[in-house]
Amino acid sequence: MPTVYADIPILSAILLICLGGLFLILATPRKEAARIKKISAVSSGLTLAAAVYLFFAYDRGVGGLQFAEKISWIPSLGISYFNAVDGFSLPMLLLTGIVFFTGILTMWELTERVKEFFALVFLLVLGVYGLFMSLDLFFIFVWYDVSLFPMYLLIAVWGSTRKEYGAMKLTLYLLAGSALILPALLYLVVASGLDTFDLLQLMDPGTFTPAQQRFAFVLFYIGFGILAGVWPFHTWSPVGHVAAPTAVSMIHAGVLMKIGAFGVLRVGIFLCPEGWKYWAELMGLLATVGIVYGVLAGLRQTDLKYVIGYSSVSHMGIVGLGLATVTVDGLNGAVYQMFAHGIMTALFFSSVGYIYDKTHTKAIAELGGLSKTMPKASAYFIIAALTGVGVPCLASFWGELVVFISSFRVYPLYGTLAVGALAVGALFILRVVQKTCYGPENAKWAHLPDVSFGLAIPRMILVSVIVLFGLFPSLLFDMIRTASIPFMAGLP
Amino acid sequence: MTTTATLSDPNVATTLAACAAPLLAFAAIFLGARRFARLSAGLSIGAVTVSLAGAVFLLAANWHAEAPQVFSASWLVSDAVRIPVGVLLDPISLLMMTVVAVICFLVQIYSLGYMAGDPGFSRYYGFMSLFAWAMLSLTLSSSLFQLYVFWELVGLSSYLLIGFWYEKFSASQAGKKAFVMTRAGDVAFMLGLFVLLVGAGTLDVTAVNGPAAARMNPSLITLSALLIFGGIVGKSAQFPLLTWLPDAMEGPTPVSALLHSATMVAAGVFLFARLFPFFRQSPAAMGVFLVIGTVSMLLSSTMAMVSRDIKQVWAYSTISQLGFMIMGLAAGSFFAGVFHLTTHAGFKALLFLCSGVVIHALDTNDMFEIARKKGRRLKLAMICMTLAAAALAGIPPLSGFFSKESILAALAALDNPIWLAAALLGVLLTAYYAFRLIFIILFPRPELVQPESGRGHGSGHGAGTAMGSALVVLAAATLALGFAAAPLARFLSGDPAAAHPGPHLPWLPYAGIGLAAGGLLLAWFEFGRPAADQKGFVERVPALAALFANRWYIDVFYARLISRLVDRGLAWLCAKTDQRVIDAGLDAASKHIIRSSGVLSALQSGMIQHRLLVLFAVVVMLGLYFIA
Repeated sequence: MPTVYADIPILSAILLICLGGLFLILATPRKEAARIKKISAVSSGLTLAAAVYLFFAYDRGVGGLQFAEKISWIPSLGISYFNAVDGFSLPMLLLTGIVFFTGILTMWELTERVKEFFALVFLLVLGVYGLFMSLDLFFIFVWYDVSLFPMYLLIAVWGSTRKEYGAMKLTLYLLAGSALILPALLYLVVASGLDTFDLLQLMDPGTFTPAQQRFAFVLFYIGFGILAGVWPFHTWSPVGHVAAPTAVSMIHAGVLMKIGAFGVLRVGIFLCPEGWKYWAELMGLLATVGIVYGVLAGLRQTDLKYVIGYSSVSHMGIVGLGLATVTVDGLNGAVYQMFAHGIMTALFFSSVGYIYDKTHTKAIAELGGLSKTMPKASAYFIIAALTGVGVPCLASFWGELVVFISSFRVYPLYGTLAVGALAVGALFILRVVQKTCYGPENAKWAHLPDVSFGLAIPRMILVSVIVLFGLFPSLLFDMIRTASIPFMAGLP
Repeated sequence: MTTTATLSDPNVATTLAACAAPLLAFAAIFLGARRFARLSAGLSIGAVTVSLAGAVFLLAANWHAEAPQVFSASWLVSDAVRIPVGVLLDPISLLMMTVVAVICFLVQIYSLGYMAGDPGFSRYYGFMSLFAWAMLSLTLSSSLFQLYVFWELVGLSSYLLIGFWYEKFSASQAGKKAFVMTRAGDVAFMLGLFVLLVGAGTLDVTAVNGPAAARMNPSLITLSALLIFGGIVGKSAQFPLLTWLPDAMEGPTPVSALLHSATMVAAGVFLFARLFPFFRQSPAAMGVFLVIGTVSMLLSSTMAMVSRDIKQVWAYSTISQLGFMIMGLAAGSFFAGVFHLTTHAGFKALLFLCSGVVIHALDTNDMFEIARKKGRRLKLAMICMTLAAAALAGIPPLSGFFSKESILAALAALDNPIWLAAALLGVLLTAYYAFRLIFIILFPRPELVQPESGRGHGSGHGAGTAMGSALVVLAAATLALGFAAAPLARFLSGDPAAAHPGPHLPWLPYAGIGLAAGGLLLAWFEFGRPAADQKGFVERVPALAALFANRWYIDVFYARLISRLVDRGLAWLCAKTDQRVIDAGLDAASKHIIRSSGVLSALQSGMIQHRLLVLFAVVVMLGLYFIA
């Protein structure tokens, strides 16, 4: 893979914008909430603009790593500040930019501890951006923890419904994950004998014996997989989503869960391809259980956010199934699905967040008739639901289809079960739509306002992205291919 | 065999314009035009007019075309997975496209009157455009994944339109049921496509129908044909996935007209016709299709015999007629199935639109109630409905007679006479239930008729201009289409010499006519004649009537299956596993850790005596170790 160095450090600029935004927010007096929001919107918008620029400026003909920046930091340990993007990470950067920007706009009406909230969100996203662009194992681990730490406070302070419990559970789970990742990283770095944390050097074939790879891969898979909601390490996810405030749910389910899957790909699969192949069938099994289990458990839920939480478990299972196929198609479908699920779930949580803000309930039984009361809010909810059901020409469909095809080729049984879950998934999500949005107008909610124009902007952005990539999936597939095809061809 | 066209080809350009127009109308309506009801309707109707003009142009231009034309581009390229998007112009797609465009156009014109004043008027036209786009694109798809995409979008539009009046529980329930039941069939369809992809290596329609499938293992052909047929069973509401269709009448009546004639349910039979050469390679699968078509046809006929709701009777008759089409196709006659699909689209749309006029005017679906309110005064609607019912029953010289006759002929060519016998029984039942309805409305029992109360509630307005014109056009089609059999046969087979396959048995048309007349007479005897007590022979056997009225308890079976197996079974198990096994296990593990950490923290008592004791012990141990 060629590595093209950047003339202008755009990747670092993204991180600096996040950091700058963070300091600006901290420097702004607490009373000036409006200014804090403006600073947040502008900075997050700038990162989105940079991500969009990168997405289109990336030379697909050349491929490989581009916009690279490398500065040696601690030479004695082989740690360097090394950022670059390829076809795997660019969709993730774009996703982060979109979800970050729309998440900030969604929280425009926040009144409680505005300054701290936005500051923590910026810190969280800083870690996320860093992780997606970093190619140094040390930094990957640091960014991972930077993105986890603010989560606890964001949920415990601004959350709802058993927020302390949810925050604690989530944090413990994710820390357990990082407790598996760190030893695995150190083990590999030491075992390589290369004295470097540089991912590119470590991923040379032959650096690690197959036995070493098999061992380390398990740790990476579970460690990162916890964050990706891999069954049976998923139970933090519904609880955490339910407890989190809207923007945090959006960023969490939209982006943070992708960090997990991306970590499995970037660290686990890149460093331990032999381990990947060895454990693939088991990964496929866990993913399939997750897909089926998620929709079935979702059927029993009575809380809107729990429903989405379980649908996330199922949808992230599709990502896992794609990775488990050990094929180019599987990788493409998985990365596409990561992107599509991120956008979809952000829309889901932002519409549920609106409903909750106005009605102060997430209990499905208490809702109903919302299409009459707030037609726009429920339209966004319905679009998100239809995307979740896998309606074609909305983004998720293509990721699912490609994963299903490739998994059906490799594991016919898992593929069949995963496709079968589609029918249950439709039942489960449409039932929720029916109970929430349809039915006669509920007098209790009749006075509530519909989504205002300002609050509709982030949701419209998300819907447009869903439709755009639903109609033109090749926009993203052509990007992912530039990374997946050389990567698979380079495997021994 | 096929010619490859480019974008600049007039055929391809016209096709793309015809497909894209409704999509643009849909987008325009939901991006802003929906605030202006008239503008929305105008956009939608304008778009469907473009589609109609395009379809007619294409049909005329390609009437004598020799080879199918294909235009293909890439939609998505992953690696081994490649999904093309394209246009395939051949007789079946051109014919279907025209039928779809005509019916969509007429239904949208009709809706101007029917939906006037509805608060969701713009939304209705938006969804109508979406429906038209999805269905037109489905008929023209050149590869099966593309077809699947639009197949699902047709399902989506049906979901949205059936549940159009979402405030009504029954409507939202029916929409959901339609989506989920067809989705169950689509799961099989998708798996069938995967099997086909693995076996044949391509999903290109012309390749699957030709050389690619020939290389496939015969058992794989049968497997994929059966699985793909699962999708057809769902979409065309065949046994055992048939109960969503009668419920789907909860949508506005013009939607039912559209659903039951040229779109949605027709998509299933269209897919059968589309893949007919492929399916024919597996006689075993064709045998299964024949059984399913026959069972659906007979079951739904019995259900139609006891229903009191006029839309429901037509809905059951749709299932039954679709069963006929599938029987025809499965018996090996491509022409018979497609011809019946075409004629049925005309008279079934007519039946629903007439019913719509009646329901609109009298505000009831119940046939006895309609009779009581003097439904027969709605002259145009009743004349057209009787005409269409006669076509449905297969009475010459209406279109339904000819197409049903060709199906009977195809069945008569089979070795086993049971299929022909079943079809003939179906003919009898069809005529019976169709005319049962007509006679009940036309000849109400005098003592029940509402006394004249001036020109009261609604009895004044029948079909307006918009609604009336649609009826007249469809009635004309019902009268004329039957005589188009020979040219259609030539067009569909692509062979100028081919004629309408005449019946093999000279007595067959007479048997068909005789049985239809028998059904009609039976209906007259029980419901029409002045002394009739308007009670059917089925209703004299309460157990049988209950069985038919409850749809052979198929719905009850599904409700129990979902509630017991899925909701209270598997879903309960998964939800409980989360709480009682995974979470409880973790809680137990963390408690254990806390407890065991208690042992360690007991060492850290902070008392100087303990520390000194430990220090002393360690020193002694070390001393012993070094000495030894």
